[in-house]
Amino acid sequence: MFGSLKAGDKGKIIDISHVGHLVQRRLLDLGITEGSEVCVKCVMPFGGPIMIESCGQCVGIRRKEAVQIEVERI
Amino acid sequence: MEIALIGNPNTGKTSLFNNLTGSYEYVGNWSGVTVEKKVGVFKNNIGHLIDLPGVYTLNPLSKDEGVVTSFFLNESVDRLLNILDASQLERNLQLTLQLLEFEKPALIGLNMIDVANKRGIQIDAQKLSEVLGVPVVPVVARSGKGCEKLIDAISTKSMQPTKKNLVYYGIEVEEAITSLSGELSGKTNHSPRFLAIQYFEGNEYVKDYVKTIADPHKLTEITANLESKLQEQKTFKTLANYIYLKRKEIIEKIIVDVARKSDSIIPLSEKIDSIVTNRFLGMPIFLLLMYLMFMLTFDWLGTPLSDALDTLLTGPITSGFETVLTAINASDFIQALILNGLVAGVGGVLVFVPQIFILFFFISLLEDSGYMARVALVMDRIMESVGLNGKAFIPMMIGFGCNVPGIMAARTIEAPRERLLTILLTPLMSCSARLPVYALFVGAFFAGNKAFVVLSLYVLGIVVALILAKIFSSTILKSETSLFVIELPPYRLPQFQSLWRSTWDKAKGFVRKAGTFIFAGSVFIWLLSYVGPNGLNVDMDDSFLAAIGNVIAPILEPIGFGTWQAAASLITGFLAKEAIISTMNIIYFVPNDASLQGLLASYYTPLAAYSFMVFILLYIPCLATVATIYKETNSKKWTAFSMIYAFALAYILSLVIYQGGKLFGLV
Repeated sequence: MFGSLKAGDKGKIIDISHVGHLVQRRLLDLGITEGSEVCVKCVMPFGGPIMIESCGQCVGIRRKEAVQIEVERI
Repeated sequence: MEIALIGNPNTGKTSLFNNLTGSYEYVGNWSGVTVEKKVGVFKNNIGHLIDLPGVYTLNPLSKDEGVVTSFFLNESVDRLLNILDASQLERNLQLTLQLLEFEKPALIGLNMIDVANKRGIQIDAQKLSEVLGVPVVPVVARSGKGCEKLIDAISTKSMQPTKKNLVYYGIEVEEAITSLSGELSGKTNHSPRFLAIQYFEGNEYVKDYVKTIADPHKLTEITANLESKLQEQKTFKTLANYIYLKRKEIIEKIIVDVARKSDSIIPLSEKIDSIVTNRFLGMPIFLLLMYLMFMLTFDWLGTPLSDALDTLLTGPITSGFETVLTAINASDFIQALILNGLVAGVGGVLVFVPQIFILFFFISLLEDSGYMARVALVMDRIMESVGLNGKAFIPMMIGFGCNVPGIMAARTIEAPRERLLTILLTPLMSCSARLPVYALFVGAFFAGNKAFVVLSLYVLGIVVALILAKIFSSTILKSETSLFVIELPPYRLPQFQSLWRSTWDKAKGFVRKAGTFIFAGSVFIWLLSYVGPNGLNVDMDDSFLAAIGNVIAPILEPIGFGTWQAAASLITGFLAKEAIISTMNIIYFVPNDASLQGLLASYYTPLAAYSFMVFILLYIPCLATVATIYKETNSKKWTAFSMIYAFALAYILSLVIYQGGKLFGLV
């Protein structure tokens, strides 16, 4: 789970299907989908969004969506 | 020849557009700067260049992306100029493959090679051109390097793609494409294959288009058939996903062919990000930057400059005009018109040009550096709690400059309700045209803590917007879906030249308005104040202007400024907020040294002055903003709502401030 990752941790996305359709589409547009390697860059306080990096591209997503993405730590 | 510029967001399309056409359009370092199509003429006159909003695919999610799809479907274009971000080749090529399916002559501009090199990626443009079957020209859009070659290629090379059907989608999909194409062929000018693939991907715009020319039942039947065939495969999820993966396979092969990766250095961007989006420092840093911006605009730098300009205008320039007018024996009427009307009205607005330049300079700096998207990230938590998303903060920040582009920027917000909410609330952001009013009043009443009082108004605008967002989103604009995914572009050191151009581009609107709108308005207002029911050159209290103002004045009595002068300036303020200042300069005209600021003290108490400023902040979006709201929402109801709620809100708040203040013994 993304939720358990901290800033600086790296992981590989294994399941993104539980995330809302629109968010899934947008992440796909940015090249982030199952099999992508991501690195958590920072986590905003009070349940705010998190910033992830994939292939040199930084993207901000909300925490509630992030926890629905299943990742495996690498 | 019509050439369309198309590519992913924030790949430098507009920078290139400016370089190729020699015009100046709005550029910035965040996704979604361009929200509508713009047309320019090539420097060497070979045709028109059309700048389109950035898109990731031709299947749109938000309104600015829809602009591109409907452009493709409804307008004719001769050639496509596809801009690729070399540092993000993989995802950029997803769009390129779709564009090539469109089967129009195409050309690729490979931008940001420098960024790619820094990241350790080397790209062989020649090879890429061979694989895709279209010319590829490396460019640096920011500096204009490679533009000559690009123009050369556009005007000389044949750009008909040499390869057809670059992507093979598998036997099942290809069969379905063939049968769907069969339904469409002969009925459209577009490539049937392109339409078929987009239809399968679920592109709503294409679906609507296709339904008008072919039998809808047949189309759904083909799709359902295809889906049931693919369902037998274990990995199949959705048709759109299946098509995406097929394209991805091809892209991965292309990347292996054309790109070489070596070790990269940690980009400076990530070091900066570890500070500005730090979980504890992010918000304080943002507030500190805002504070610096206000102090520079209103205190440290802006005010001295404006004062100097004011001295120049009221001193040498006014007496210069006087001398000339006396020398040419101008009549009293003309003298009064020019000195009391034009110089007072237009000059009163021009005085604030330095402050407006400084404000716009900062906004441009935020946009060009890449910090804007970070602000959206930092603010998302707060925005989410009131039913908006962090992206809504970008239109609001731009609204500090001018509400009109702010409202247009809301197009990048995907969820329609969040977008509408942002459009309705952006006018509460205190735009630069309201700035002269504050500057005048704080100068007269709150000289000791100018920046603080002005900052309080800006903050009030934001706080009120957030509270209203909460109220609206939980009552009339209940939003079921919310979407927040934001691209954070790498930081770029803004170039001085582009900063200056973008500041000038924004601020010149203000100067131009002063020369046209305010100019004409000043003459009109002065005439109304010069003419009365009893003839010309009447005492101002007996003029038509006073008569009009007096009708409204009683309504304004409870909120502290029930004078006809205030009422009259509020009416003109609807046309343009800075017209309030020119009107006041004309109404309170004092020929000799006494300044408007000094004079105001006898008409307003400090409490009434603050109440007046709050009222100006909120009372109504200006005419241009109202027109934009109507254009963007396409709804008379919401446009009327945006005006009415603002007025009610302004009245109630001013009432609370003035009457409440009096209760606490303030004056």
